[in-house]
Amino acid sequence: MSELKNILQTEDALSSESLLNYLQGNASKEEHHAIERLMADSPFVNDAIEGLQHFKDPELIKEYIAELNRQVQKQTAKKNEKKTKRRLKDQNWLVIAILAILFLCIAGYFLILFIL
Amino acid sequence: MSKDPFQHITDAELLEKFYSEHDTKWLGIVLQRYTFLLLGVCMKYLKNEEAAKDAVQQIFLKAILELGKYKVDYLKSWLYMVAKNHCLMQLRNKHTTVPVDEQPMLMEEKDDFYDQTNKEIALDLLELALNELTLEQKTCVKLFYLEKQSYHEITGITGYSLLQVKSFIQNGKRNLKILVEKKMHAKE
Repeated sequence: MSELKNILQTEDALSSESLLNYLQGNASKEEHHAIERLMADSPFVNDAIEGLQHFKDPELIKEYIAELNRQVQKQTAKKNEKKTKRRLKDQNWLVIAILAILFLCIAGYFLILFIL
Repeated sequence: MSKDPFQHITDAELLEKFYSEHDTKWLGIVLQRYTFLLLGVCMKYLKNEEAAKDAVQQIFLKAILELGKYKVDYLKSWLYMVAKNHCLMQLRNKHTTVPVDEQPMLMEEKDDFYDQTNKEIALDLLELALNELTLEQKTCVKLFYLEKQSYHEITGITGYSLLQVKSFIQNGKRNLKILVEKKMHAKE
């Protein structure tokens, strides 16, 4: 009856391999049970698995996931690159401005010296 | 389907890194954890493989944009809500009738009620609570959690439909939790 305590425990991670196994009907009994426990705990997981079961070919899921992941990697990397580029450009302007002010100060100093 | 090299870092920690370093790379890593689930949810609502894929793409774009604007505490629940809303909007635009569905609450699905009180819950309390469930809930909860039967096996044993079995288990578990909490408070 010690199993009784497990009822209230919530399941944790969900690996994509075991999920695919489940969808293809190749999951081990433990894997199968673990996934159904996750479904019972989370409406998100439950909806997702019900949806994935509509795919005619589970192999297509793999393809789509890989493609979507590649895209999101690209999007999140590109934005970052833009930001660093812009930051460099901003820094260039900052250096130019400081040099210009320094030059004006020195020129002003000599001008005053010359007038006096 | 490569393994996540940041597996040991939680969603919250990755989001925190994103907010402090302003590096969307972290956002990319954490979002990829949900590609699978998001594709499933979109497929459930849109019932078209291509449309589901496009929807996930748009949800990702929206997430990158919105998460940069304001802080989100429970990413998993937030993504689920965004995905559902996105799909429902698409269906509405197609003039399909959409069933009214409850909004998921924006909180962590995994609650630590049991983890905190793990040691304190007496088995007899649980057993008492289990006996207070309706017959259907009790049967399904026992078969599922104690005898580790699958949904399909339970439909075979009990004659209930798959949908009924799922809801008996979900509601049974929720009621069990409420009953145990009540009993614990009563004890105090």
